[in-house]
Amino acid sequence: MHTWRFILFLTLCGLGAGGCAEPVVVVNASSAITRLGQEDVVNIFLGRYRRLSTGDTAVPIDQPESAALRAEFYRKLVNKEPNEVSAYWSRLLFSGRASPPLQAVTVNDVAVLLASQPVGIAYMERSQVDKRFRIVMEFPR
Amino acid sequence: MTPSQRVLTGAWRLRGLLVRSTLAVIAASLLAALVAVAYTAYATSQRAHLASQTRLTELLDTMESTLAVACFVKDQTLARELAQGLLSNSDVLAVSISTEAELLTEKRRGRSTGAPSGPPLKRLIYSPFDKQMLVGQIVLTPDPQVINARIREEVWLAALQLSWQLGMVTFAVVLMMLLFIVRPIQAMSDRLHRMDPTAGDRLAIPGRHGNTEIGQLVVDINALSDRLTGALATERQLYLQGEIDEKKFHTIFDNAESGLFLMDNQGGLSSWNPAFARLFGIGQQSPAGMPALNIKHLPWHAPGQMGELLQSALRRNNAVTQDLQVLMPGSGCSWINMVLRSVGDNLLQGVMHDVSHLKESEASARQLAVTDPLTGLANRQGLQDRLHAHVQDYVASKKGGFALLLLNLDEFRRVNEGMGLPAGDAILQATTRRLSACVNSEDTLARLSADNFGIILNEITQGEAVDRIVGRIVQAIRQPYFVDGSPISLHASIGVALFPGDGFDVPSLLRQAELAMDSAKSAGGDSHVFFNPLLTEAAEQRRHMERDLRSAIRNQEFVLFYQPVIDLAAQRLCGAEALIRWRHPTRGLVMPDSFIPLAEKTGLVVEMGLLMLDVACQQLVSWQNQGLDYTLSLNVSGRQIPDGLPPAKLQEVVRHYGISPSKLALEITEGVMLHDIEKSLAWLNEVHALGFQVYLDDFGTGYSSLSYLKLFPVDTLKVDKSFVRDMQDGSNEYTLVSAIIAMGRSLGLDIVAEGVESQSHLTALERMGCHYAQGYYFSRPVPAEEFDAVVTRVTALLAAPKG
Repeated sequence: MHTWRFILFLTLCGLGAGGCAEPVVVVNASSAITRLGQEDVVNIFLGRYRRLSTGDTAVPIDQPESAALRAEFYRKLVNKEPNEVSAYWSRLLFSGRASPPLQAVTVNDVAVLLASQPVGIAYMERSQVDKRFRIVMEFPR
Repeated sequence: MTPSQRVLTGAWRLRGLLVRSTLAVIAASLLAALVAVAYTAYATSQRAHLASQTRLTELLDTMESTLAVACFVKDQTLARELAQGLLSNSDVLAVSISTEAELLTEKRRGRSTGAPSGPPLKRLIYSPFDKQMLVGQIVLTPDPQVINARIREEVWLAALQLSWQLGMVTFAVVLMMLLFIVRPIQAMSDRLHRMDPTAGDRLAIPGRHGNTEIGQLVVDINALSDRLTGALATERQLYLQGEIDEKKFHTIFDNAESGLFLMDNQGGLSSWNPAFARLFGIGQQSPAGMPALNIKHLPWHAPGQMGELLQSALRRNNAVTQDLQVLMPGSGCSWINMVLRSVGDNLLQGVMHDVSHLKESEASARQLAVTDPLTGLANRQGLQDRLHAHVQDYVASKKGGFALLLLNLDEFRRVNEGMGLPAGDAILQATTRRLSACVNSEDTLARLSADNFGIILNEITQGEAVDRIVGRIVQAIRQPYFVDGSPISLHASIGVALFPGDGFDVPSLLRQAELAMDSAKSAGGDSHVFFNPLLTEAAEQRRHMERDLRSAIRNQEFVLFYQPVIDLAAQRLCGAEALIRWRHPTRGLVMPDSFIPLAEKTGLVVEMGLLMLDVACQQLVSWQNQGLDYTLSLNVSGRQIPDGLPPAKLQEVVRHYGISPSKLALEITEGVMLHDIEKSLAWLNEVHALGFQVYLDDFGTGYSSLSYLKLFPVDTLKVDKSFVRDMQDGSNEYTLVSAIIAMGRSLGLDIVAEGVESQSHLTALERMGCHYAQGYYFSRPVPAEEFDAVVTRVTALLAAPKG
């Protein structure tokens, strides 16, 4: 009986792979960072700081502009739509002091970029996480 | 100066209405302006600060999201740009933006040096992603110069506007005051100056003021003018009337018959009228240079009285009056009635008039009141006055007793009635002369009533002296009086009371003398009796008796006894005489001699007579019912004739009982006839004509006048028992009775012999031809219930053989 339920769950997740993405925050497996709070993730991705209180530096890598996962990520992180996030960055770009995260061109680039960046921090589908990466933060379900 | 100029100068008089009210309006306006400007300044400042705050808050609102971003990422550049943008607003003096840790930027307007006017505006900045997360703060300092300038401008504008408005209001008020109040009042004042209300001038109502207070004031002033002129006219009228009145009063004063005068409280005369001057024979004015004439120095009979009257008038508020005697040299004595009244201010007014005539009339009236006009003697009042005077003299000096005589002429009434009043008056006057001759000149003679005289004999208290004088009086009265040439004999009954021996006060003295006189009269007259206490006692007894009589009538104590009358020819009882008896509750049976005289005197006999008439009739009815044909005779007193027992009443009673009048005989005495002969005769005739029998009782004791017997309608003579009782062969009585019977028979009268006490009386009477007999021989009077027994006995007696 339990088995059946589990199968149904998997089926549903597989079916909704496009619309029901589940972003998780990951770092390069070589990174010293093991765990991050949501606040730290906000500060890093929205340009407040790149250096963590532990002294580790984190360079954020963003999903492409059009990725559904990106919208899902910011919605979950700061409850903002992609255009609001863009407006935010447009104000900061004016002074030039803070810069937005490095943006991948395709979804797959994210994994490539992160694998190449030992201090990188990114978010991706849980399904995309492999042993090169370490999950440092998950959104509560 | 034209009127309008006058109005203006008058209007702007320093303390005038217009200046005062203008100043008041200006002062009030200034005060109001000050208050208004101060308030405006305060309110504007509050409003400006509030507005500045609002503006800055709004400014911050627009920049808040950017500020959040700047603080979030601690972007100094962005912060500086923002501060620069804020400073471009003129209200902002300085801007400071900081995160918790560091100051991002601080900018201040360079030119401004003034201290900040209000508190700086501070706002906390939260993260754009987390509204809970504080990321920094911004502090804005407002610029006071800008705000103050704005405030000044607004206050200035408000002050200007207020000044303009207040100026307009003041102008309007002053103009209105001038036009509607000051000018009309000024015009009225001018008009009033020239106005003559008595000539009919009145104020005109200023134009357009018909319904205003000014118009009302004009109406009121005109009404006041009307009233004042009216009052003036009335005053003038009164003044004229007063002058006329004063002339009138002066005329009255001068022409008054009474003496009128004014004087001070010392009696000094200040003015008087001609009548006063005439009364005292003085001039119209006090002679010049002489002291004022004093009323006390006028020729009063008793000058002291005038002084007392004056004092009394001063003491009292109302008028005082007194009759005063004046002794005028030359014209003798006169009486003046003086009325004095204090009129205040130590002045007295007086009225006086001559009352000498009045005084004379009074004296003569007083004299008349105590005088008998016919004889000129004192009357009853005069006698009483003299008696009082004597008694008082005696009380004062304890000497000077006197004797009081009351004298009554016996038979005078008969003379008066028989011969007329002028004859009576002549006799009274003659008596007066005779009495005067008998007494001293100091003694008092009085006529009390018709033929009653009173005499006071001064200084006489002894019976002997009285006897002597009374003797003279009796002698004098006994002298025949001659009226129209015929002699008339009169006698006097005199009662004497002595003072202080008998009585000590006037009423009892008079009463005692009267009792004595009554006693003399009762004794037959022509004598005098001294009062003694027995008389009082007798009078007292009479009073008691009278009271008893009245109650006896009420209680029906009177009864009739019956004495049989025998018809000698028929030798049978033919009737009875009814005799009254009094069954007294304590005294037993009382005989008529004891009470009939008093009953006659008091008139009670009339009532008794009527009662007895009823009883007698009842008895007759009773006999009639028994078949007995008896006649009953009833005694009638002189007092019952003619009005006490009217013939009509007699007839009514017998008719009521159904008796024949012939069965009821009425016994009268000769004395009855002598009373009032004409009326008595008329009564007798009437009674006789009605069928009643008339008996002449007690025949032989009185006048026994044969002419009366012929004159009166008498049926039967009753020979008095005194003759019959003493009748013996050859005695005078025998002859007399025999003569009476013979005479009666010759006149056709029946004869009843009373007092038959023996067989010899009866035999003699039968021999003389007497018709009827009555007496103890047959029976004494018995009550009705015993009469049947008497009838039996008498019948037996008559049937018995004569022995």
